[in-house]
Amino acid sequence: MKVQITNGMFMALIINMLYAKSIGLTQGVIAREVGGDMWLSTIFASMQGLVVMALVVIVIKRMPEGDLIDQFHQIFGKWIGKGAAFLVFIFFIGAYGSIMATFVYHLKDYFLPEAPLVLFIAGAFLIGAYALFFGIEVVARMALIGIFSIIGLNILLMIGSLGKFDIRELLPTFQSGVVKTVWASRHHNTDWAMATMMAAIILPIVKEKKTWIKSGTAGICYSAIIIIMWPILETGVLSPEVAAQYIISCMQMARSAEIGLFIHRYEMIMIALFALSILTQIMMTFLCSSIAMQKMLGLKDYRPAIIPSGLILSGFSYWMVKNHHRAMHIIEGIWVPVSLGIAVGLPALLLISGFFFKKKLKMKKNNANVQG
Amino acid sequence: MEEKTKKRKKWGGVAMRKKAVLLSCILILLLPLAGCVGKKEISDLAIVMAVGIDEGKEAGSVKVSVQVARPADARGQTGAPAGQSGEAIWNVEAEGESIFEAIRKLSSISTRRIFWAHNFIIVINEQVAKEGIGGIIDFFSRNQELRMRTKVVITPDSASEIVSTATGLEIIPGEAMDKLFRYSAISSVSAQSDMMELLAAYLSPSSEPLLARVILQKMKVDSEKAEAGASLKQIELAGAGVFKDDKLVGILKPEEMRGVIAFRDKLDSGALIATCPSNPNKNTTVELDAPSFRVEPTYHNQEIRFKATLDVDVSVVEAGCSFAINNKEQVKTLQNSVEDTLRKQIMTTVNKVQKDYQADVFELGKVFQNKYPYEWKKYKNNWSEIFSTTNIDVVVHSEVVSGELLFKPTESGKKEKSKE
Repeated sequence: MKVQITNGMFMALIINMLYAKSIGLTQGVIAREVGGDMWLSTIFASMQGLVVMALVVIVIKRMPEGDLIDQFHQIFGKWIGKGAAFLVFIFFIGAYGSIMATFVYHLKDYFLPEAPLVLFIAGAFLIGAYALFFGIEVVARMALIGIFSIIGLNILLMIGSLGKFDIRELLPTFQSGVVKTVWASRHHNTDWAMATMMAAIILPIVKEKKTWIKSGTAGICYSAIIIIMWPILETGVLSPEVAAQYIISCMQMARSAEIGLFIHRYEMIMIALFALSILTQIMMTFLCSSIAMQKMLGLKDYRPAIIPSGLILSGFSYWMVKNHHRAMHIIEGIWVPVSLGIAVGLPALLLISGFFFKKKLKMKKNNANVQG
Repeated sequence: MEEKTKKRKKWGGVAMRKKAVLLSCILILLLPLAGCVGKKEISDLAIVMAVGIDEGKEAGSVKVSVQVARPADARGQTGAPAGQSGEAIWNVEAEGESIFEAIRKLSSISTRRIFWAHNFIIVINEQVAKEGIGGIIDFFSRNQELRMRTKVVITPDSASEIVSTATGLEIIPGEAMDKLFRYSAISSVSAQSDMMELLAAYLSPSSEPLLARVILQKMKVDSEKAEAGASLKQIELAGAGVFKDDKLVGILKPEEMRGVIAFRDKLDSGALIATCPSNPNKNTTVELDAPSFRVEPTYHNQEIRFKATLDVDVSVVEAGCSFAINNKEQVKTLQNSVEDTLRKQIMTTVNKVQKDYQADVFELGKVFQNKYPYEWKKYKNNWSEIFSTTNIDVVVHSEVVSGELLFKPTESGKKEKSKE
């Protein structure tokens, strides 16, 4: 029987796929560009993410049995389909690099500075590969639990930081100008891109096809609500200048939060509570890249592709994360056009081509129904 | 049939071999996950409670003093020498061209790993602060072990001496200083300054850092030499240091702190000595409750002005003369006296900070920027000069709301008898 996940699990995957990187690493990058307007940039990015998610769902819904790569295959033929799979694979290599930057810079820089980098890369590889052998359902169930830990972390941080919150730091709005604030949202868009690309690959296994669009957009909305707390608190508690100073600004929040006299230094609590989110990111990136590799090589199952694709992803992330400057240079620079080019370009191309190849699509759909 | 069995055996063998290889790979890969990398055993740590930074003997060098807790001797309420050494702390210092180098030297004499995560306070000597604390801010904000809410203070005395002085009722001096600050909001004699606030003010384009100041004072009476009076030094909160960029440019006295705390933080209750309503030669002590302070900027004809308004409830806690809360005239006179005294106090601080130090520790740049973001762009590059000439008006409103437990004035009953 074909594996399926519920719409709730799909929403949980979206939220987890976004959370870990969006709250810290991305906010630091945005703060360096627009300072106190980082929360506005985050809102703009969320709105753009909503549109792209809707676009992905509309495109996949036209032929709900196949993912984004299958659609390219059906419309443009085998080789273009393989080309699309290659682009998807490239996307997830880059995404994994940024995820590992989040993972390693949280754990290594704050807790285990003496531990070798390979330990983190190998650990992520092992966990990711191991989980995927059990299939997406296991990951999706874990993501559901991840939601509770994310909410728990948000509540704890809010309680521990509100005492030092200075609303003056959030004002005046659009200090860097509207255009610059909107432009800075591209960094958070790369986070949304991970969620929309994941949706483009896994939507065919989401149970209720009728409510795909509702689940996808609701997932984005809930994520936005959960994430927006962080730039607001980082601006109001740390100040935009301090948030911009650090690679992982959320860890500075955790370092300075305190409840009463005895609960302070939330770093460990933070790591414990956002672990499921970052692990979901690792596993889902492994899954999506394995599926892309499977379709590139014409394999029947994605499982044989897990280890080779995982090794490629791990190799790239090791090279990228080893040097802080290189990692940040990639995340702030080249990753933005590559990520958005693929995440927006591929579904947009499918949407447009769908109008021209309507008949072909309909025929393929009928054939699929007859075969079914 | 035999052939089939042979084939099955052959392929079964290959599958088994594959499984064995996979299992071996997993086992080998599991080895680095044993969880021992980067471990920190508590018995291997020298837990730093306070750190002092002084000038070194050689020009340009820095002396770092650390106060390390000896947990075995710091147990219980009295610090009884359970660990047999009798000392609850181990003080040690080293010099280097940078803080990092000095700490490295400390590591070479410490039998345990220097561990910063529980450090309560960083004490900086004023001479070092005058030369600039940019390097200190950088070092401690880079350090992943240090808490961002660690207190940072300056001192005119030797930071090394401050760090090693047992003060108050606590056994660990670092903890004692931390507790001193926990209640400083009540006495309003110093500023609450921690690493996060220092970093934020240093990085800010308009505000300047303000660090609490501590001094050593002979205030403790030695019970064995009680006749000599206060002969042992204790740490006392003594105002704050005003910084411009990273350099210490001036000192605010304890009595000037109310003026600056009002602008920066939330004013807490505090005591004030005002002129007695019925006898100008005597004083009345009042407690200021529920203070509310707001600053409103105005911009007119290219002139920046700030109007600061303080509303405060007054309770009479010690009347040096006859005072009754139902005497409207006395109440009015007292209110005027409180308002006048408070206004003078705040204006003294404002003038000192504006004219003498030209450092916006009041965060008025931020206030102006919030209300006039476009105009701010014109002034942000030379804000410290503009700040020094800006007009700041202070208005104080007070209301005598309580005479504590008393309703009638505390007067000798004989007087009333003689009147009769």
